[in-house]
Amino acid sequence: MTWVTWRHHRGALAGVVLFLGLIALWLWRVGLQLHQAYGAAIDCHPASSTACSALLLTFETTGGILKGGFVLQPLPALIGAFIGATVLARELETGTFRYAWTQGFGRWRWALAKLALLGVAVTVVAGLFSALVSWYYGPYLTPGRLSSANSPLHHWLFDLRGVAFAAWTLAAFTMGALAGMLIGRIVPAIVATLATYTALAVTVGDFLRANYQPSRNFWSVQLIEGGGLLALSAVLIALTVVLVRRAT
Amino acid sequence: MTAATLPLGTTNGGKLRPLPWRRMAWIGWRHHRAALAGAAAFLGVLAAGLWLAGLHLHHAYAVAAACHPSSSAPCQNLIAAFQSTNVILKGGFVLQVVPALVGAFVGAPLLAREIETGTFRYAWTQGFGRGRWTLATLVLLGAAVAVMAGAFSVLASWYYQPYLAAGGTQFSSPSPLSPGLFDLRGVACAAWTLAAFAIGAFAGMLVRRIVPAIVATLAAYTGLALVAGNVLRQHYLAPKVARGSNLPDSAWITSEWWTKGGKRAFLGRPPVHLLQQLCPTSFVSGPGGRIGMRGTFSPTACLVRHGYTQWSDYQPAAHFWTFQWIEGGWLLALCLLLVAATVWLVRRRVA
Repeated sequence: MTWVTWRHHRGALAGVVLFLGLIALWLWRVGLQLHQAYGAAIDCHPASSTACSALLLTFETTGGILKGGFVLQPLPALIGAFIGATVLARELETGTFRYAWTQGFGRWRWALAKLALLGVAVTVVAGLFSALVSWYYGPYLTPGRLSSANSPLHHWLFDLRGVAFAAWTLAAFTMGALAGMLIGRIVPAIVATLATYTALAVTVGDFLRANYQPSRNFWSVQLIEGGGLLALSAVLIALTVVLVRRAT
Repeated sequence: MTAATLPLGTTNGGKLRPLPWRRMAWIGWRHHRAALAGAAAFLGVLAAGLWLAGLHLHHAYAVAAACHPSSSAPCQNLIAAFQSTNVILKGGFVLQVVPALVGAFVGAPLLAREIETGTFRYAWTQGFGRGRWTLATLVLLGAAVAVMAGAFSVLASWYYQPYLAAGGTQFSSPSPLSPGLFDLRGVACAAWTLAAFAIGAFAGMLVRRIVPAIVATLAAYTGLALVAGNVLRQHYLAPKVARGSNLPDSAWITSEWWTKGGKRAFLGRPPVHLLQQLCPTSFVSGPGGRIGMRGTFSPTACLVRHGYTQWSDYQPAAHFWTFQWIEGGWLLALCLLLVAATVWLVRRRVA
């Protein structure tokens, strides 16, 4: 099934790698500038002088639209929607399920294998990407003179770091797969996935996570959130496979 | 999909009859009502959220602006509260995706779906003529999408009005020409949505598969928007030049440089090695051999003392509507070109 999954979805997987790769190159380039500006600003003494304020200003204006962390927030949704929603929706919309699901292998094993393999692939790629993102935002989050432990960045950057980014990507992927199975048409499934993901992300970000203090017990909140999303993903995959099995 | 045939009818002196726009509107609606309803629902939900956020923002602004004296601590707190309201929306960059998404998801599946599912073999062999059919569909759907985006941009303009009101430096108002806000207001939002739609239709014909066409449209749109915002827009009109820090409010600074003796010295911020050369007494050796600057040192004063002059290129806020019409104009021309190219591809393709 690994070979079959690769053959079916190599375009999609190559697209994800290319897309994240281009963004990673951009992050790398801007990140080097940012780290250099941070180093210069930190080393400048005395800290309250006009000249050091100029270096601080250089540091604060490097990065442009990456600063608040908002630009990278849609990435898990996009990956999940475009990879996950098309897996089953394409089969249903084009009618190829009549062929793919009547092989001797068993349709639910086929579906489970595909979703598991693609889910793992997407999660691994997202995990590698989030390591780069963590490196990029290091200067803003290292405790020190130029960043504060109570900075709202800890809140906004939370789901781009640690295990959260990979977990959100997996959740988006499984949401897409279920949406594809339920809706059965590609473009509506993509749209539905994006909408559902946005609703879930806003709910978790604004309501559930606000009850914690991200800067103090960062890893415990990360593991709680990651665990919750992993459990959600497992439930959604199971549900999708059950639907595939029961479809007439 | 409902089948609707439009027979060629009796010859009209050998010429084609004029396009029956009303009938094509009905057909376009029937074929694409899901896409149009989806776009309307998306914009509607977004508009509702933006309206609620906007009420909050306008209230915070009114309270902060009415507070006197503005340099006192309680008034500064209100200003800070205003500045931190709805920070996600503040620069306007988050809403930049809206024209791209609407245009890509309505435009790209338009023709790509026909080709991918094979229904073009039916739709394009009606007596009506496939070129005219495509043209009518693109024009009608494009107009619908542009109108929806235009309505949304009116709301967006209302939302960002507190930031752009002449609040003076304490409110740090951005320029109306700044990249995040420029194409959410005026005619630019509708024009960009229409451009995304036209790119989508054209990409659909080239790529011939739905999801890759959507992805290609988003990529092409992003590239075009980045080029337009960062490279093209500052050259629509010749920028004005200001000396020193003598800039009007809400001007959009496009570049800064320093000159000495009439010759250009360097761009942007002064390099540290030049400052060390000119004003060496302002630098001290720190621990570990690192060089730091003295507390009272001002790079600008040091450079001015040595005969350097600071210059800035800027576009005044008054250029906003001219720029809007210029950008709307070339985007419209691009759309017409893409629509013509799409119709040409539809007519040419035998497959």
